Amino acid sequence: MVTTLITDPQTSTWSDVFSTQNGAVYQCDAERCWYVDFAGKVAKFDYRCLLKLKKAVYNVDIEAKLLDSSKDPDVEIIFICACDHTYILTLLQIIALKEILEGAFVMLQLNHIIQDRLYRIAL
Amino acid sequence: MKDLIRIRSLISAEVESLLNQQVKKEATSSSIYLAMASWCNRNGYDYSSDYFFKQAEEERQHQLKFYKYILDMGGNAISPDVTGIKQEYNSFREVFEEALDQEISVTQSIKNIYARCLKEQDFVTNEFLNWFLKEQREEEYKARRALELFEVIGEEGTGRWQIDKHVGGIKYDSEA
Ligand SMILES: [Fe+2]
Ligand SMILES: [Fe+2]
Repeated sequence: MVTTLITDPQTSTWSDVFSTQNGAVYQCDAERCWYVDFAGKVAKFDYRCLLKLKKAVYNVDIEAKLLDSSKDPDVEIIFICACDHTYILTLLQIIALKEILEGAFVMLQLNHIIQDRLYRIAL
Repeated sequence: MKDLIRIRSLISAEVESLLNQQVKKEATSSSIYLAMASWCNRNGYDYSSDYFFKQAEEERQHQLKFYKYILDMGGNAISPDVTGIKQEYNSFREVFEEALDQEISVTQSIKNIYARCLKEQDFVTNEFLNWFLKEQREEEYKARRALELFEVIGEEGTGRWQIDKHVGGIKYDSEA
């Protein structure tokens, strides 16, 4: 498995959304986007593209790939329509990226609940 | 950290996906009614054919209502694939039985979205869905009324001709 470089958030406006040993997702409020640090690169995603990335990764049938006994290399191409980034990942990387995205979306959901229940009511 | 997703869209990803499923369901209903209109026309039931043409048009309007709501709320409306529409029916009565089944399944599916929205406290979408709940009252009433004609009039002799004539007159005008 390719080890990824975990870059520190590059500017102070980035907030940590979720990270594991393999990578991380940061949010940039100023640019209204997210940065995904994975597989040796830091890629910028707006809302639509982040959802597309999530869908593409979640749609990989990991179980079927594990059971697949053919000799084809276990490489998956994550291509996202109308988005600048493409990932070519091994099965282990897919699992790692899925873990990061799952964590990130839980944290975004949590942030949404906190904003809704606390700040938006208090304002 | 800002709630960027909420800034983009009023509805959650789950509600958005349920609403898109409903878009597909309404489109399917529209196609089913169109097939029924064709079957009735081919078999000499002109009033029923007209009735189903009107129903098909209404379902198309329902589809667009959901579609535009998703877009207005900042979501992604997906134009549905509709395939596998049944074209042939075994009897005049079967057409109406299946029309009622279809309406019951639409009511159920709207109730399901309503329940999800209540859970999320998405009262905005609930309010939007209220129109459809009321509409389903009418839709189920009309479908049930049509089936009742088969009981009241009976299919013997000129029965089916009579039933067809009465289908054209089915109306729901409850003020409640
Ligand atoms: Fe409808
Ligand atoms: Fe309907």
